[in-house]
Amino acid sequence: MSEVIFPKMSAADGATGVIVTWFVDSGDPVTPTTLIAEVAVDKVDAEVYPETGGVITLLVPEEAEVVQGSVIATIT
Amino acid sequence: MTAALPTAPLHTVGPNLAVEPDAGTRKLSTAKAMQEAIAQQMRTDDSVFVMGEDVGPYGGIFSSTTGLIEEFGPTRVIDTPISETAFIGTGIGAAIEGMRPVVELMFSDFFGVCMDQIYNHMAKIHYESGGNVQVPMVLMTATGGGYSDGAQHSQTLWGTFAHLPGMKVVVPSNPYDAKGLMTAAIRSNDPVVFMFHKGVMGLGWMKKNRRSIGAVPEEPYEVPIGKAKVVREGTDVTIVTLSLSVHHSLDVAEKLAEEGISVEVLDLRSLVPLDRDAIVASVSKTGRLIVVDEDYQSFGLSGEVIASVVERAPGLLTHVSRVCLPDVPIPYASQLEYAVLPTPARIEAAVREAMGGGVAS
Repeated sequence: MSEVIFPKMSAADGATGVIVTWFVDSGDPVTPTTLIAEVAVDKVDAEVYPETGGVITLLVPEEAEVVQGSVIATIT
Repeated sequence: MTAALPTAPLHTVGPNLAVEPDAGTRKLSTAKAMQEAIAQQMRTDDSVFVMGEDVGPYGGIFSSTTGLIEEFGPTRVIDTPISETAFIGTGIGAAIEGMRPVVELMFSDFFGVCMDQIYNHMAKIHYESGGNVQVPMVLMTATGGGYSDGAQHSQTLWGTFAHLPGMKVVVPSNPYDAKGLMTAAIRSNDPVVFMFHKGVMGLGWMKKNRRSIGAVPEEPYEVPIGKAKVVREGTDVTIVTLSLSVHHSLDVAEKLAEEGISVEVLDLRSLVPLDRDAIVASVSKTGRLIVVDEDYQSFGLSGEVIASVVERAPGLLTHVSRVCLPDVPIPYASQLEYAVLPTPARIEAAVREAMGGGVAS
């Protein structure tokens, strides 16, 4: 199993961001070239790709506020 | 000597349409689908370039060009000064000389200062040159309201562009159509006005309907310009609509299906050419027509859609109504703005009225 981390986009400790869009649903197959999410911190966007392939399970809903560096999905 | 009349009637679609491929499973937002379409055409055709205000490092204020300057550099993704007349005119000149420019007019509302370039030059040069000069240009522009941006940043105005001859006008509602129509627009040898509603782009800072994210083929493909699509089949009422109003109409159709009301939703996708056959075909099934349009009600798209039926088969209609923007400037205050927009509540009330149930309270 591998974890998908909310990327560190701000130098501030404990900075929070949001999941703007999940482009996949739990149970979908993914690869390292699959765009799985768009996230934002202070209106700056970033795309998220998984490090490994497998079947994804989403842990955080869209529009939820998340501390950067936290786990937002797992891949098995 | 009498010139031969064209064999095909004006504003209809020829038989050799591009085939729309299966959507697959890979999902994008409408904004990313547009970016991908432009990037793919830029990779295969050196004559394609992008120009406009904040299309470079900023990526377009509604994310139509995000990432392009990183791949193609500032000679093919050109930030311009705030002079729409100058840079749209430059685009027209480049197109005439064989380039395929994609020029962004930041808001459709800004057409006023540059309309001479758009409708006297871009749209008419092919005609005025006796067909000898082509203008293969895409003019893309953001439209629509719903986010308190005021009367001069919230208009759709597609009826205004569609009214003037010489330009194709396309208005996608979702990622699949946005990529396919952008690809077709760039490849077209005619000027195409590509009008995207900010509310269908899938942007995090706008209210986001789930229909702004959808499956999109990875390879280049075309959605044929001039071909409408039945996005939900139904038997009781036809809603003819476009752009963000497609999302609202589908939401209403899903809700009313639980009560046994069957709503067909036709997404026009293109205004010029207008798929009048598809409009008449749908009304032939239902007899009841509602046109939902975020543009101003009078002298525009909604009347044209109704006329398409009335001119061809007036006996088909047992009910007709419009859910449009009343003929007023779009208010800034959110409550007032949503009082004039074609909201799901107004669409639902129109369907209930068409079914003889009166206006819902």
